[in-house]
Amino acid sequence: MRNEKEVIELIEKNLSPLETEEKRAQNISVKFGPEDTIQALSFLKSKGYKQLSTISCVDWIDDNEFELVYHLYSYDDFINISVKTRIDREKAKFVTLKEVWPVAEFYERDIHDFFGVEFEGNDDLEELILENWNDIPPMRKDFDTRKFVNDEYEWRDYDGQKHTD
Amino acid sequence: MMNMNGGIMMDKNTQTEIFFGPNHPGVPGNYGIIYDFEGDTVTEAKPNAGHLHRGFEKLMEERIWIKNTALVPRICVEEPDINEMVYAMGYEAIGELEVPERAHYIRSIILELARLQGHIFSIGGNAAGIGQYTVMHWGTLTRDYILDIFEEITGGRVYHIYIRPGGVRQDISDKTFEKILDLMDDLEENRLPDLDKTLYENPNAQKRWKGTAVITAEEAMEMGATGPVLRGAGKAYDLRKMMPYAAYDKVDFEIPTRESGDAWARLKVVREEMTQSIKIIRQLINDIPDGPVKLDLGNALKYKIPEGDAYVKIESKRGEYGYYMVSDGSLKPYRVHVRGASNPLGLYGVTEYLPGTRVADVPVWAKSLGICPPEFDR
Repeated sequence: MRNEKEVIELIEKNLSPLETEEKRAQNISVKFGPEDTIQALSFLKSKGYKQLSTISCVDWIDDNEFELVYHLYSYDDFINISVKTRIDREKAKFVTLKEVWPVAEFYERDIHDFFGVEFEGNDDLEELILENWNDIPPMRKDFDTRKFVNDEYEWRDYDGQKHTD
Repeated sequence: MMNMNGGIMMDKNTQTEIFFGPNHPGVPGNYGIIYDFEGDTVTEAKPNAGHLHRGFEKLMEERIWIKNTALVPRICVEEPDINEMVYAMGYEAIGELEVPERAHYIRSIILELARLQGHIFSIGGNAAGIGQYTVMHWGTLTRDYILDIFEEITGGRVYHIYIRPGGVRQDISDKTFEKILDLMDDLEENRLPDLDKTLYENPNAQKRWKGTAVITAEEAMEMGATGPVLRGAGKAYDLRKMMPYAAYDKVDFEIPTRESGDAWARLKVVREEMTQSIKIIRQLINDIPDGPVKLDLGNALKYKIPEGDAYVKIESKRGEYGYYMVSDGSLKPYRVHVRGASNPLGLYGVTEYLPGTRVADVPVWAKSLGICPPEFDR
């Protein structure tokens, strides 16, 4: 069983992180360049970080980047690692993690639905949650929910009361 | 091809595709599984999710921090309190807030009551999946007694909006604690033994559940499925012990496990966990310290925390429930990502582990693995 410091040491010795941070007890955050991320994730898996809890995506529209966050967990160290990487927002493309964790396939499909990120090597990126969606991906920060509703649907008047926005 | 009686004639080698759902197909919520079967064995399956997509994550980005406390319990019908708790924990982790001791105890009591009502409810659902409707009706009644307690404490029966950033909404009186203890006695002496007799000693239930829907510990870990799925396969793992939160490091309880990894093992684990929950609630009520139950965070409409992010997770009744929360220092969350307990099983698990199950056991498979569609549709 390793503690937080030892895990950070292990990462810094074997991989090339851009930044490591002990966030709070049992929680570590590590940043990698996009080219190192998949290799880092499979390295961590071989060191006991067997569980991929989920993959999160954050739209940093001001930096023109998407951040992908892989949440790993070890059943031996009881430590959570958030592995972060940033990709270009205009060319939203990354590599699939399916080969390392088969379950990632569905998390990637989810991110593809909501952010429009393509994952190279994941052939099955058809719509998972959304259906017949032809607007910009809805979780992107520039998608305006209110505008979408006004454009797509007509307001109804109830009991003679006019709708006011 | 139709025969004279209007039924479908099938060659025994023909594969047939079936749309299972999306009208509550033995799982809580609208969700579909599209599967092929041969004879009466499923050969291929894929999830048909999205029927309950309500856009929670987007909605949360457009609401101030306190308003979201009323939104999060709706994410999963089965686990309202769990969602409130993870949300509050995420806020406190980013803001580096330390909650008063009494609030920790009250939160744990609420979460254990929620676990009890959820387990009773889902055992009822599991029983209904194999035709044992008595257990479901009795379970609904038992759950109602716990909901009465919730109503007294929070004013709401199913959605409580009680756990909030900085603590809980209001204190619990000693009289209510007495009522909770009385209910725990009633559960232990009358209601749970009834459950044992009607369900666990029922040969029908044993036959249907033993050997059905097997997931090994290795498979569960690889896919990220925790909770009773992992414990039913022999791994003693519980976030309440491994990453203690609220007041769980102050109480003494065991992690029940079973070896076989089938539906029966999981339901036995759930039954034993209920005994442990009762034990935890008694200890918490006995040891609860005096003091404030919430931090003074100022004007609720102007809650603000510094820039930062946190992945927080707790043990729901079906395993790890996690939120990834990002704050940009403004009045609203920048991003909240919900990781439901059944995300891996409801999506990937269906394609990988449902094939091989008999058609009549598909509801047993989905129910006993705790598939909850509203949390992955969000």
